[in-house]
Amino acid sequence: MDHQQAADRFSDYLDGTLAPRDREALEAHLATCIQCRTSLTSFKRAVGSLGKLKQAAPPAFLPNIQKQIHARSRGRFFGKRWLLFGRVPFEWVSLAVIIGLLVYYIATIHGAPGGVHPAP
Amino acid sequence: MSVAERLLISRLKERDEQAFNEIVRLHGDKVFSLVYRMIGNRAEAEDIAQEVFVTVFKTIDGFRGEAKFTTWLLRIAANQCKNRIKYLARRATDPDGLDEGGHAGDAATVAPHVAPLTGQIDGPDVLLEAAELDGLMQRAIADLDEEQRLLVVLRDVEEMSYDEIGDVTGLPEGTIKSRLHRARMAIKDWLDQHTR
Repeated sequence: MDHQQAADRFSDYLDGTLAPRDREALEAHLATCIQCRTSLTSFKRAVGSLGKLKQAAPPAFLPNIQKQIHARSRGRFFGKRWLLFGRVPFEWVSLAVIIGLLVYYIATIHGAPGGVHPAP
Repeated sequence: MSVAERLLISRLKERDEQAFNEIVRLHGDKVFSLVYRMIGNRAEAEDIAQEVFVTVFKTIDGFRGEAKFTTWLLRIAANQCKNRIKYLARRATDPDGLDEGGHAGDAATVAPHVAPLTGQIDGPDVLLEAAELDGLMQRAIADLDEEQRLLVVLRDVEEMSYDEIGDVTGLPEGTIKSRLHRARMAIKDWLDQHTR
């Protein structure tokens, strides 16, 4: 195993996913190669340091999102949804208006004083 | 997906504000952390992370539970980061726009409290355990391309499994492993070069 082949196996070695035969070969190389041992130490330190980088959200994170959503939706985002599809059911509203107009039209035709009456 | 998570999402689809708050409380840190490490600027990160949750709640009806909610959420976050990185790169960026020396594309940007890139700084054993760790690592991450950066953040910062990373990125495990290894080696080389 040369230096490059050893370095190519560092990630799998660190993750514990290196096949047993490859692990033995790598460890045998490391036992005799100070350059790769040093390189592996730096590699472990770099990867280990990444694990310390978790970052908490700022304290005002939630209130800021809430503010943004309320502002963008003018307060309509939260709360019970309308009957259909999470929005105003325009289909049903239109149908109701058409039926209403029809009823009004029929009532007007039949109830109007100037309507058509049979001759005496 | 757990029963509790299903219930929470179902309440979210009903536009229940408490469910919304709960989701942000549960996942806010993870989303912010991912975005911050991808972008390197706190104000930008906060803005993007907020936008992620706004997008989640605008598109929650499209979430069918085929993937884990966290995976879906982080996929949105990753996409928004990539879009912002492209936008910032196009805008040819403000040189003072990044925190702690980190940058989405210009590693030469250094905040005043971070040791300069030119010349050598104190040994890693001292530095990596001190307050400078964050800025130093952020600069090393910022030197990666955005794909590598995402893999490093998901695997080594957020400690996600290769399966979960595959769900977020859509990449096969072999590709993730080889790209991640190159990214880790690049970070190691960067640290070797900039510390002694």
